[in-house]
Amino acid sequence: MKNILNIKSTLIALFAVITFTACESVSSYEDESPSIAFVAVANADFSVLEAAAVRGGVAGVLSNSNPNDPSGAYTVFAPTNTAFARLGLNEETLGVLQKPFLTNTLLYHVSNGNLRSSNITAGGMSASALGPQRRFIQRGSDLYINGSKILATDVNASNGTVHVIDKVMIATGADIVQSAIALQSANVFINPELSFLVEAVVYAGLAEALTASPGSPKFTVFAPTDQAFKDLGAALGLTFNQPSDIRQLPANVVGQVLLNHVFVGEKFTSELNAGNVSPLGGDPLTLGAFTEGTLTVRGVGNNTPANMVIPDVQTTNGIVHVIDRVLLPNL
Amino acid sequence: MRIPLLTSLMLLVTGFALAQSPVSGFMKKKGEGSVVLTQFRESYDRVFLVPTEVDGVPVFNEVTISSTSLYGEFGISDRFNVIVNLPYIKSEGNASEAVLQNNGFENERSGIQDIKIYGKYSFLSKAVGTNQLDIIGSVGVETPLGNYSADEGLQSIIAIGNESTRFTGFGIAQFMTDFGLFATGQLGYSLRSNQVPNAVLSELKLGYAGSAFYLDAFISNQLSSKDGVDILGEGFTGFFPATRVNFTRIGLNGYVPVAKFAGIVGGVNSYIAGRNVGKSTGYYAGLAFSF
Repeated sequence: MKNILNIKSTLIALFAVITFTACESVSSYEDESPSIAFVAVANADFSVLEAAAVRGGVAGVLSNSNPNDPSGAYTVFAPTNTAFARLGLNEETLGVLQKPFLTNTLLYHVSNGNLRSSNITAGGMSASALGPQRRFIQRGSDLYINGSKILATDVNASNGTVHVIDKVMIATGADIVQSAIALQSANVFINPELSFLVEAVVYAGLAEALTASPGSPKFTVFAPTDQAFKDLGAALGLTFNQPSDIRQLPANVVGQVLLNHVFVGEKFTSELNAGNVSPLGGDPLTLGAFTEGTLTVRGVGNNTPANMVIPDVQTTNGIVHVIDRVLLPNL
Repeated sequence: MRIPLLTSLMLLVTGFALAQSPVSGFMKKKGEGSVVLTQFRESYDRVFLVPTEVDGVPVFNEVTISSTSLYGEFGISDRFNVIVNLPYIKSEGNASEAVLQNNGFENERSGIQDIKIYGKYSFLSKAVGTNQLDIIGSVGVETPLGNYSADEGLQSIIAIGNESTRFTGFGIAQFMTDFGLFATGQLGYSLRSNQVPNAVLSELKLGYAGSAFYLDAFISNQLSSKDGVDILGEGFTGFFPATRVNFTRIGLNGYVPVAKFAGIVGGVNSYIAGRNVGKSTGYYAGLAFSF
């Protein structure tokens, strides 16, 4: 009897010990570094980035080591939810973007290897996983990558480093004209955009001037939205329902207005200051104060300045800032 | 018999709830059997990931799993019982229509999941004074019966199963006093297909089985092989069956007889720790019939 009781006690004790020692314990992995994908998922301020990574198909990629770099690391410049909100994007509205464009945009925020803040210098460049280079810019005490302010640096991840930025970066990988055509052809948003602008450029015979060619200059372009052109039509007492309606205006006038939107040299918002810039044609444009990473811009023929709705789009021959109003010279 | 009710009704309360061991420490006598029909519901909006738990289930925000489970146990002989369990599961996410549309996902997956068939054999059933000690061995197979999919990328966050066939063996020891208190310990190992990591399973149950009611409290664990990957960790490809799922779960099971051959079962349970698993709390209720 005593022996059996001992067996019983031993068995129960054994099971109890096994059961409790087999318990999952947070302490077994709480010291592990999270992956970059985990950082996005675990941080409420990256919920749109998380949703974008899911839709863009890079959540799995950023969970793993980088096979294209000996260190196995990625560096990600991670836009906050506020950064996405600037473009009207949140978890719900990401569907307005074509999936390939979204994926490319995400890859533009990624580079191979660990780029620590100590190795970032103003004026330096960094190649993105998409291909195009990003540029680091010092403005006052703030460091920018392209037009995006770096808000926090060196968030450690198991597979790299995360820096936090305040604006989504966009690179088209094409020149100004082809970039506008990509928008017009609904290859960026699922709905066409910049259709009137593309029509106007073609109508005014300016396509060649804005197309990249060896030795051609770099530009900064203010690109009015379709709604901006429709509003212009209304202001002129015309009806602009479709892009071809722009042809109600003389081609030379359209050309003059368009040249009022372009100046030589590629400037991100982080490199622009309040004051005048001289466009290729027309009259000087007036930039407003640099506020919250953006500036207003006004032509001499405008009563109200235009706002940038999509600033800092990098193309192969310049920077495009999409604006909500056509910039008018003195006509 | 010292514990008369045990031989008729009490044996019904076993592992028919999800994520508990499907085998209990109680044996049925030859020709005796029971059928239990339960409705189970659990939900979670936090997930145990590595290195921390996160708020909000990716994509789906919150997941609710409801299942209807048919559980049967039959005594082939006094020492050999057969157990069959078949659940129908509905797993629902709470993603917005826009998010679903953005990703081509759906908020619901449902269907018949995996049939579980176990045999258990009583190696030792011995009176220890006025008490009783039982040593039981059990082996079983669990395999998909429905045609659900676990390979739909992140949609499979709400998959109803892993599309895996599992062979599991348990060693069970139970000690019961003559006044109905009992302790049951289980230790098992599960071999799993479809890249699902093999796992060590254990459960400790303390309870009371009396003539008026049955009640137990349990703690159960699953420790998966380190071959598995962490969600959002190295090796993660979006194929969820391959994830390393560990958990510690606690709960209560109860049974009250309402007629000679019928009773009501119910219980609650909750994940208190885990790895790559939802921080879920659930409850169930059901009807049990014995013959």
